[in-house]
Amino acid sequence: MVVAQTQLSNGQARRRHHREPFLRFALKTIVKKPGRLIGFLIIVLFILMAIFGPMLYPKNLPIDPNAIYAPISWKYPLGTDFEGTSNLALVITGARYVLFAAAMGALFTVVFGTVLGLLSGYFAGATDSVIMRITDFILTLPSFPLLVVLSTVWNFGQPVAMGFVLGITGWGGLARAVRSQTLTLRERGFIEAARGLGLSSGHILFRQLMPNVGSYIAMNLLLAVTGSIYAEVGLFFLGVVPFHVNNWGVMLNLAVFSGGAMSSPQALPYLLSPMLALLILTLGIVLFLDAVDEMFNPRLREV
Amino acid sequence: MILVVASFTFFLVRMMPGNPIEAKYEQLIMSGYTPDQAMSAVRVMYGFIPKQPLFQQFVTYLWQILHLNLGQSISYEGTPVMKIILGAAPWTIILVLTGTLASFVVGVLAGVIAAIRRNKVSGNLITVSGSLLHGIPQFVMGLFLAYVFTTIWAVFPYGAPYDASLTPGFNWPYIGSLAWHAILPVATYALSSYGGWLLTMKSSVISVLGDDFILAAEVRGIKPSIRMRYIAQNAMLPLFTILALSIGFMFGGSIFIEDIFDYPGLGNMLTNAISYKDYPLMSGAFLLITVAIIAANIATDFLYSIVDPRIRR
Amino acid sequence: MNAELQLIDAQTAVQVRGLNVVYETTQGDIPAVQNVNLDIRKGQITGIIGESGSGKSTLVMAMMNAVAKPGRVASGSIEVSGVGDMMKLSTEQQRRARSTELGLVFQAAQNSLNPLRRIGHQVLDLGRSHGVKDLRALLRKAKDLLERLGLDADRVLTAYQHELSGGMRQRVGIMFALVLDAKVVILDEATTALDMLSQASVLQIVRELHEERGLTTILITHDMGVVGDLADRVVVMYAGCIVEEGVTQEVLTSPKHPYTRGLIRAIPRISGDIDKAVPLSGSPPDMNTYKQPGCLFADRCPLAAPECQQSRPPLLEVETGRHVACFRVNDHA
Repeated sequence: MVVAQTQLSNGQARRRHHREPFLRFALKTIVKKPGRLIGFLIIVLFILMAIFGPMLYPKNLPIDPNAIYAPISWKYPLGTDFEGTSNLALVITGARYVLFAAAMGALFTVVFGTVLGLLSGYFAGATDSVIMRITDFILTLPSFPLLVVLSTVWNFGQPVAMGFVLGITGWGGLARAVRSQTLTLRERGFIEAARGLGLSSGHILFRQLMPNVGSYIAMNLLLAVTGSIYAEVGLFFLGVVPFHVNNWGVMLNLAVFSGGAMSSPQALPYLLSPMLALLILTLGIVLFLDAVDEMFNPRLREV
Repeated sequence: MILVVASFTFFLVRMMPGNPIEAKYEQLIMSGYTPDQAMSAVRVMYGFIPKQPLFQQFVTYLWQILHLNLGQSISYEGTPVMKIILGAAPWTIILVLTGTLASFVVGVLAGVIAAIRRNKVSGNLITVSGSLLHGIPQFVMGLFLAYVFTTIWAVFPYGAPYDASLTPGFNWPYIGSLAWHAILPVATYALSSYGGWLLTMKSSVISVLGDDFILAAEVRGIKPSIRMRYIAQNAMLPLFTILALSIGFMFGGSIFIEDIFDYPGLGNMLTNAISYKDYPLMSGAFLLITVAIIAANIATDFLYSIVDPRIRR
Repeated sequence: MNAELQLIDAQTAVQVRGLNVVYETTQGDIPAVQNVNLDIRKGQITGIIGESGSGKSTLVMAMMNAVAKPGRVASGSIEVSGVGDMMKLSTEQQRRARSTELGLVFQAAQNSLNPLRRIGHQVLDLGRSHGVKDLRALLRKAKDLLERLGLDADRVLTAYQHELSGGMRQRVGIMFALVLDAKVVILDEATTALDMLSQASVLQIVRELHEERGLTTILITHDMGVVGDLADRVVVMYAGCIVEEGVTQEVLTSPKHPYTRGLIRAIPRISGDIDKAVPLSGSPPDMNTYKQPGCLFADRCPLAAPECQQSRPPLLEVETGRHVACFRVNDHA
């Protein structure tokens, strides 16, 4: 049903693209509701943090032996850690790894999931059953324990490596969903019609089918970002990954397991600051999802 | 499927940095074993013999697994992996099962209410509670609960699955202590999965409410209680499929919870195995978790075929 | 006709007075049924005919006070013989009247069954809902009815919905409407989804049951042929209003409302020339049609006069038992 309407109004949606540049339209959609705007601003803030954050501070953050676990103050807005390093600085410089890895993870998830799902639904037959077998296998493997085990093999010091692993463990669900969407289009004669027009497979797959699952993919991209953030921060929190770089998960781990934040209130800011960063970012993404849905979903757009 | 996963685990262990098997072999030789002794020792440990061709190792490994032999642990010198795993499994199963059951029941009921009152404030409040809890990562939830209830108000005990002064066994103080210590981990578990059930059930109920047969039942004057049953039955169907999928996530989540609350289950074992580089234990634990998921999948399919006559043949 | 509340007379099964149903939308309320006054006579088959969206289904749903959201009965009364005013009864009283007094065969009867329960169990659910003591007798009755409808009753009662074909489900829907001895039976496009042959046989059975049980039957359809074959009286609806009502034979042979005439002319006949079937000109009513003060049909009417744009013609009795809502009813006779 959803696909049917999406397809029907696709033509209208296209026309709208021509009338109005996408960027301006996107901006309009965001500004429409305050929640979306807040979400958007939070995301922009974190992205800026990831890009420029590490440039604001020296490569090795200053330590202050006189201010170990210092309380919240003007000098240390989020307190300090066990070495007297500012928690705010740690959160800001840690954002780069977390966000970059999450973005890579989401990108890999969506690329694998979409391409395999489309191919599976488009070619059907043997290709379909092979791809679906692999998907079933991936879905069966418990993804987080797998990540934990893989962390012993891979070096996760590079965010790209982390993102790649997050991608290969996480694309199963999306591939299945994209495939079933493609199959509904196939059932409705969409593919036969396109073939009848003499369009090439590549064209049908990426120019015709992909826009029809576009809103779904866009939503999943954002959801995959949150999923990736949780997974990677979780890995560092567990302490199974060697701490090459500073990031939020490392902070959480040190706060809980070395700093004793659970029992000593003075270490609390050290624990809370990465948690806060995590929650605010999640909130931003959740608020922004609504706008993305409207941007890419022609059904909602016409209203 | 189990075969595929077993093969996967095998090659994963082979890929481990520094090849642990050969390292162990070399280490044994260094410590004065003869090559023969060392080889049989390694064989006992890993379930297959190093210096053989890969394929033969593989066959031996599978053969051992078929006999439920997962080799011996390295960190617990000489203890069979199977024994350690079987010791840890009940903790996880109790945790996961109670947590899932509690969140499922509460989440589904709340989902029905949220769907029926979706235009009222009360319904919206329930939905918001679901989305919020759904959005919080499990380890944040665990840390939060642990901090609030063990540090700020020391209501619940922290760490250890039961009071160490009690003798394990089938006596009331012990069982009571078990339950008391399990409350926080289970609550973490239940709270973080409740949102998912609620949101899914809500949308499922809303879509069933629009179905023709519900309107037909109303027009035929079917009693509200029976009508409610019709709605609930039909809305529950999609949740069974998700139940199967979520079991995988559950084991993932139990790693955090067991870690935070120091609960001696499979997840804790897995992280310990990794920090001690205990590869047989690690691969064994991973294999078993996967087998549990496959079993859960089969059970769910079976359950589904009972609930939905359309699947039955 | 007196629109005041009155005691329902012995000849009338359902008496509708001043009924207005609106659909709530973001752009305001859209009227779906407007100012309908109608008497459904006991023991007769009344056909209600009109285009899709003319308010036929909404009218009968309102008769059971079961208009689905976003629709809402804005005003009016529905007196059902032996029950009272459906609009004034408590929810529980309304529920009890359904199936025992008023039976409805759904427009989408194929999907009117719970997919997870056997048909027999659903019959029992129905019985329990209406306090039937002897459930065994109820099942027997259901079985007899199903057999009358040409089905293998034992198989059907133990079957799930997905094991039955569309036609079979439709017949099961008819069984559900009759099994509790409802005196008024409403068939809402009940045979539209069937092929011509099973449609004919189902309608035949409906007529037989109607006569045997002394039912009052309301037949909603957009098929003039069905009405002509079965109905004693016919009600023609356009844009939520009744435009003509009378004995079927009279209405079909000498239609008085230009819309009825258009409808009859639009029927293609197998024996005749297809070109002789004349489609109605103009487009079906939309939001703007309802906003203007004049006759709702004026834009498509070949006889439209200036006065038709000024106000709406009321439904008046032009001959005994014959009602027409048109200013120019006499201008062409």
